[in-house]
Amino acid sequence: MESLNVIWTFFKIGIIAFGGGWSVVGVIKNAVVPVWVDEAQFRALIAIAQSTPGPIALNAATMIGWSHGGFLMAIAATLSVVAFPVFAIAMTTLLANKVSIKKDPLNEALRTGSLAMMLMTLWVLRPVSLDPIMLTFAIGSFVIAAFTKINALWAILGAGAINAALGPLLRNLLGM
Amino acid sequence: MVPATPWRLFWVFAWINTVTLGGGYAIVPVIGSSLQKRGWVTEDDFWDIFARAQAYPGPSALSTAMLSSIKLCGFWGAVAAFFGVVLPPFLAIILVSSLLTTYGSLPAVKRFLAGAGAVVPGLVAAMVWRTAKRRSWTAPRIVEVVALTMLLILFPALSLPILLGGIVALYVLEGLWNR
Repeated sequence: MESLNVIWTFFKIGIIAFGGGWSVVGVIKNAVVPVWVDEAQFRALIAIAQSTPGPIALNAATMIGWSHGGFLMAIAATLSVVAFPVFAIAMTTLLANKVSIKKDPLNEALRTGSLAMMLMTLWVLRPVSLDPIMLTFAIGSFVIAAFTKINALWAILGAGAINAALGPLLRNLLGM
Repeated sequence: MVPATPWRLFWVFAWINTVTLGGGYAIVPVIGSSLQKRGWVTEDDFWDIFARAQAYPGPSALSTAMLSSIKLCGFWGAVAAFFGVVLPPFLAIILVSSLLTTYGSLPAVKRFLAGAGAVVPGLVAAMVWRTAKRRSWTAPRIVEVVALTMLLILFPALSLPILLGGIVALYVLEGLWNR
C-alpha cells in the first residue's frame, strides 16, 4: 500500500511540476513531510538534490523511493514523476496541429503560476530555528545566489563543510 | 557533420546530465550549445523548442531534450533522450543514498547535512528574487500571484486542483487583460 502511495504521490507531483525546479519543492514538501521524512531530513534531501546532477523533482522521487523500498521502489518513484510529462509530450506530438492553444498567454499564465509556487515553497521552507549559525548560512546563501554568478552548489557544499568542520567550535565560542 | 542518431543523442544527453549541476536554468543553455555545436539544430530552432518545452509539466531539461530529439530522430530519439536525461541523476542519487545509509549516522556527516539544509531557504528566496525581477509586472499579475500563493499556502492538500484550475484561469485572464 505504501508503495502505491509513493507512486501515486509522485505521479501527481509530475502533473504540476511547472516552471523550473524550485517552484515544485513546496508541493513536494507538503506531500512527503512528515509522512515519509521529517523537516530536517527534507531540507538535507533538497540540498543533496541540488548538488547532484538532474532535476530536483526527479532526485527527490528517487531518494524517497530508495528510502521506502530500495532499488525497485526508487525506479518506480522516478518513473512515476516523469510519467505525466512524457505522456503530455507524446500526446501533443501525435496531435500536433490538431489542437491550437495560444502560446503567449499560456506561457505568461505558467510564469505567474510558477512564481506563486515558488513563493509557497519559500513560505513552507522558511527557517525554522533561530540558531544564529543556521540563519547566517541561509542569509549568506541568499546573497550569493541572488547577487553573484557563483553556482549555488558552492553555497550548499560550503555551508555543509563549515558546519561539519567548525560547527562545535563556533558553538563553543558563541557560548551555546 | 556527424548525423544525429538515437544512440548519439543518448550519449550527448547522458554526458550533459552527468556533468551539469544546478537545475534547469543551468542545463538548458548547455543542451543548446551541444546540439548547435554538432550542427543538429540552429540557435533559432533551439530557442523555439525551449519555448515550447516550458509549456510542459516536468523538468525543462527533460522536455527540451525530448522535443529536440523527436525533431531529429522521431520516436527512438525521444526514447534515447529520456534515458539520457533520467539515468545519470538516478544513478547519482542511488550512489549518494547508499553512502548515506552507511555513513549517515556519523556526527560530522550529520552536521554537514544540517549545514547544507540550512541554505535551502536562502536559495529559494534568491530564486524568487531573480524571477520576480525578470517578470514584466502588471497590476492584474500582482493580484494573481498574491491570490494564488495565498490559496496554495492555506490549502496545502489541494495543490493539484488549485494549480490546474489556476493555470486555466490565468490563461483566460491573460487573454482578457494583457492582450
